[in-house]
Amino acid sequence: MHSAAVRLAGVWKWYPGHQHPAVHDLWLEVRGGELLAILGPSGCGKTTTLRLIAGLERPDAGSIEIAGVLVAGGARFLPPEERGVGLVFQDYALFPHLTVEENIAFGLHRLGRSERRQRVEELLQLTGLGPFRKRYPHQLSGGQQQRVAIARALAPRPSVLLLDEPFANLDAELRQRMREELRRLLRELGATVVLVTHDRDEALSLADRVAVMLGGTIVQVDTPERVYHEPKTREVARLLGQATFVPARVLGTIGRSDLGPFALEGERAPVEQVELLLRPRDVVLEPHPEGLGVVVDRRFVGAETVYRVLLRCGITVETSQPPSVELAVGERVEVRCNRARLAAFAGSERIGLAALLERVREKTDEAAERDGRRTNAVVPPGAS
Amino acid sequence: MRRRDLLRLGGFGLAAGMTTVLAACSGGSQEATPTAIPTGSLSTPTTGTEGTPAVTPTSAPSPGSSAAVSRTGTVTVYSGRSKSLIGPLLDRIGEELGLDVRVRYGDTAELATAILEEGDRSPADLFFGQDAGALGALAKEGRLMQLPSELLERVPEPYRSPQGVWIGVSGRVRTVVYNTERVRPEEIPASILDFAGNERWRARLGWAPTNGSFQAFVTALRRLRGEDTARAWLEGIKALAPREFPNNSSIVQATIKGEIEAGFVNHYYLMRERAQAGQPLPVENYFYTNGDPGGLVNVAGIGILASSRAPDLAVRLADYLLSEPAQRYFSEQTFEYPLLKGVPAHPDLPPLDQLNPPAIDLSDLDDLRGTLALLQEVGLL
Amino acid sequence: MKVQVSGPTLEQPVVVRRPHRTLALDELCAIAIAVIALGPLAYLLWRSWQGSESALAALQHPRTGTLLLRSLGLAATVALTSALLALPLAWVTERVALPGRRAMAILFALPMAVPSYLTAYAVVATLGPRGALAGVAERVLGLERLPEIYGFFGAWLTLTLVTYPYGYLAIRASLRGLDPSFEDAARTLGLTRLATFWYITVPLLRPGLVSGMLLTALYVLSDFGAIAILRYPTLTYSIYNQYRLSFDRAAAAALALLLVGLTSVLVLVERQWRQRAAFFRTAGSSRPASRARPNVWAWLLAGLGVLISGVALGLPAGVALYWWWRARRLGEALPDVSNPFLHSLAVSLAAGIVTVALAFPVARAVIRGTNWLTRLIDLPLWITYSLPGIVLALALVSLSAQLFPLLYQTLPLLIIGYALRFLPEAVGTVRAVLVQQSPRWEEAARTLGLRPWRTWLRVQLPLALPGTLSAMLLVFLTTLKELPVTLLLSPIGFTTLATTIWNATADAYWSHAALPTLLLLGTGVIPMALFSWWEDRTVRRGREA
Repeated sequence: MHSAAVRLAGVWKWYPGHQHPAVHDLWLEVRGGELLAILGPSGCGKTTTLRLIAGLERPDAGSIEIAGVLVAGGARFLPPEERGVGLVFQDYALFPHLTVEENIAFGLHRLGRSERRQRVEELLQLTGLGPFRKRYPHQLSGGQQQRVAIARALAPRPSVLLLDEPFANLDAELRQRMREELRRLLRELGATVVLVTHDRDEALSLADRVAVMLGGTIVQVDTPERVYHEPKTREVARLLGQATFVPARVLGTIGRSDLGPFALEGERAPVEQVELLLRPRDVVLEPHPEGLGVVVDRRFVGAETVYRVLLRCGITVETSQPPSVELAVGERVEVRCNRARLAAFAGSERIGLAALLERVREKTDEAAERDGRRTNAVVPPGAS
Repeated sequence: MRRRDLLRLGGFGLAAGMTTVLAACSGGSQEATPTAIPTGSLSTPTTGTEGTPAVTPTSAPSPGSSAAVSRTGTVTVYSGRSKSLIGPLLDRIGEELGLDVRVRYGDTAELATAILEEGDRSPADLFFGQDAGALGALAKEGRLMQLPSELLERVPEPYRSPQGVWIGVSGRVRTVVYNTERVRPEEIPASILDFAGNERWRARLGWAPTNGSFQAFVTALRRLRGEDTARAWLEGIKALAPREFPNNSSIVQATIKGEIEAGFVNHYYLMRERAQAGQPLPVENYFYTNGDPGGLVNVAGIGILASSRAPDLAVRLADYLLSEPAQRYFSEQTFEYPLLKGVPAHPDLPPLDQLNPPAIDLSDLDDLRGTLALLQEVGLL
Repeated sequence: MKVQVSGPTLEQPVVVRRPHRTLALDELCAIAIAVIALGPLAYLLWRSWQGSESALAALQHPRTGTLLLRSLGLAATVALTSALLALPLAWVTERVALPGRRAMAILFALPMAVPSYLTAYAVVATLGPRGALAGVAERVLGLERLPEIYGFFGAWLTLTLVTYPYGYLAIRASLRGLDPSFEDAARTLGLTRLATFWYITVPLLRPGLVSGMLLTALYVLSDFGAIAILRYPTLTYSIYNQYRLSFDRAAAAALALLLVGLTSVLVLVERQWRQRAAFFRTAGSSRPASRARPNVWAWLLAGLGVLISGVALGLPAGVALYWWWRARRLGEALPDVSNPFLHSLAVSLAAGIVTVALAFPVARAVIRGTNWLTRLIDLPLWITYSLPGIVLALALVSLSAQLFPLLYQTLPLLIIGYALRFLPEAVGTVRAVLVQQSPRWEEAARTLGLRPWRTWLRVQLPLALPGTLSAMLLVFLTTLKELPVTLLLSPIGFTTLATTIWNATADAYWSHAALPTLLLLGTGVIPMALFSWWEDRTVRRGREA
């Protein structure tokens, strides 16, 4: 049973002096208990959206509801101090003149002294900041500061927690760790979270659902998998990761490409040309003298090797292969999909899904044992 | 927590400040000033005049005993004469007359202008000006009321307003102060006009063109001898490269030190320096007694505001200022010339009737605008 | 209204409101203050109108043009040199590891406690034709005469000495609040310390620097004491003469209007120069800025600073001590100073608090500056600041006697008068402080449930405290020294140290002036020293703990 924790309906926002709205026709629903990531490039309006939810900006049209209460819309506008939202700023905005303890306790002014202390203890334990309680923000590392910011925002038990690019200021390794920690923490608390980021890995790994925002409006809201594999537009596709579009010809419902034949699903107008979206891990390369691809580049990046393969149709596919695949530049390879369906695009819009009729080729048991890989069964056409 | 402490501290400081302010407000206007008045001179009763109750002589005045005396009325005085100069006198008068004398001290011209700005709502009852110019300006705007003729007649005619709206209280005469070690009295020209172009005085004179009494002198010179003579004199002195000073007292001090040999000042500055130095000084005043413009006598005077709400009390105050005790004060404490007939000047000064100052209507000295233009023209201002 | 989970609906929004903002409370306050500050200007226009004949005559007088240029020239040069003096002094105490740096930091700002006419006397006494230096020069160097101290040179020198402490304090405060990572970044890119300071730090100091220069320039426009003693007639001098000699209020008002025009031009120029960049600290720990090792230049500068502040402070104090000693020797009875002292203290303190409190809404309005109205909201305040004291005093006399007779010559009016006069000083400092505050703090506090005013009290005020106190101290000191407004507007009998000194020196009762002068200097110097020490300690503790 989902109850909408946050609901934005038809929200527009102009900044004074700007001709184009920062946010236009924005519709979004955040379900209770979920972690929704708003993903978009800089300037797409995602921070504005966050600020609108927090009440730091006033919408020029549309309405915003939090936990069923109308907080903005028409003549009504509830200021941020009355909304019960927690906001973690990109630069944390910790109060430099207060200790960690005092920062965390800042929003607890309505509680009695002992209650306050108890709650602060809770959060210190939860975030592992106990030993630092008497320190000042400038005496903490970036990761510690972030934890304080989160603890501070969570202390008053907000109905929704907003995070503005929370990991942008951390180095790569720390980022990874903090992401996991944050995920664990939020799960534990069962909080409703809206996270704004331009980092797709972040969005994909943390979120229950991802809302893709481009040019001031939400373009697609879906689970990470669907947004990744079934983006609505090419722009979204590119935003979510490395994307290659492989051309294919279609006759009726059957199509052919360098990846093999496929059946085109989905309601659509008749087309003759489509493009199939390929992600780097969607294909498997196999050396084959008559393969339709030629390796033109290889790059070792540690956990995997990135190959660039030129297909017969002239498109170069970039794909990451596990270490077991060792290919040389110039080698002919066969390119096989390891997914059942690929998104099919006509123009900039996705018009349907291409169900591949052939997947990874049958292997002999010998080859399978040599590769140490399991054989995959071929899925007969028509099965979903 | 430190912040709370700071807030507390701030609050305390604020409270302390406010209390002090309140205390200051309610503390009243009387301040204990040490009376430098010799008890002897003020113990004689005032001369009985009509309508003025005889005042019983009091015993030796004690500073700060103001609280013990009950006040029957309030008189507000705007005084261009400084507190150090006449503060003790005004306090004393208040005690003697049983009045609450509240004095605003300031610059004569600024106070006069303030009175003009205040208009009819002015709280001032009496205006005590350092010179006649300000009084003339007030008179011209019709802000002064007619003084009782009995009061006016106490003072020789040249020292009061012909219309009877202001009256001089004490006088001062222009002198040439000179260093006795460098200058013999015979060397001083018989007329002040003869200083101009006199090479003996090149780079040895001092004057204060920005000073009010000097400007009053220039105005008198213009009236007495004409615009051209005045201009010629100014240019002539300027050509001798005199040292410029901001005020009279610095001229006197420079003369004492021998930095200049002579300067144009008012007579009493030297005497005050003498009193403060406590030892003999190699300087003297040269008085013009031949009707020369250089011997101009100017007065500090009072006028009663037409808008005053306590004119009768102001008249009583004026009456006291023109009575013997007060006049003696001017003679003995500030070294000025008492104008009340019959009160002698300081023994070190030539008596007033021997001064033979140039004949001029002091009201005319309010044409300072013309003097200002002339001084600017010559390049002194 | 339909709600859809993904994608826009076909329904279009009905009407899109044009963005508009209602005025916030502090903006209303700022506008109210500005309107009140327009009072004196209205008075000047009224007076000129009433005596339009003499007003026009005064304006058309050939000398007026010369005086106007003199005023402008003096103001501009002093503003420049005062900043040029303050900048290296601030650098020496903040960015160089000199021993005794902290004591020097206190000393350099102390001349602010000295009234300008005393500094003028000190300059004449040292550098005048018969001054101390002349004697030395003659004996040592065989020079017969020093360059003429009177005139432009003397006025310029004196006013630079009088005004550099303002710039010094403002720059020093800005330097302390600056994020050192800017400078560090520059040095890693290969700039020397000096180059870093000139190309990186100084531009970052621009808000404080430029507004400090404006403050100085307008102060010079209004100054009378120093230019009178050093004999450099300016427009202000002419105004005083009109009042004192001609009793011509209309002419004086017309000339004052010229000053107003000049002020407006200068303020607009300053607006153009001032950047609107954000200088607040971004994320990351704040380390104290690194300090260079002292070299010859640093030592020379330090020495110069010590000499200048020492003379500016020591000479008037020395003279006052001499007077006092001489009076004691003669057994003179001196008037009681406890009353004026308490009055001075109380009213200056009150003025400091009130002025800074009023400065906050104005500073915020100026920073926000969303339209031309709010950007120019402090223009009336600058105008009252640049008016010569006598003009403002008479304007207030006229306005309050006619319009608010109950308030006339009461303490509240006096404090309001001080506030109007000195608001720009406070606004400048407060603005520099607020600009260094991240707006995120306020937003964070609001999302944590605090109403705006409580946010201000618990977040912005404490963080702005050093700067706020510094602004209060500034107003305290200038109120302590103030004379013309006090003389005319204070309740009768309410004397201050400044009026007592004036009363005594006007008639050469030097001994009477001795103790008040010493008290005045002390009352200025001690809080300044204490404050500098406290500020330094707070900053250090915050960084080293």
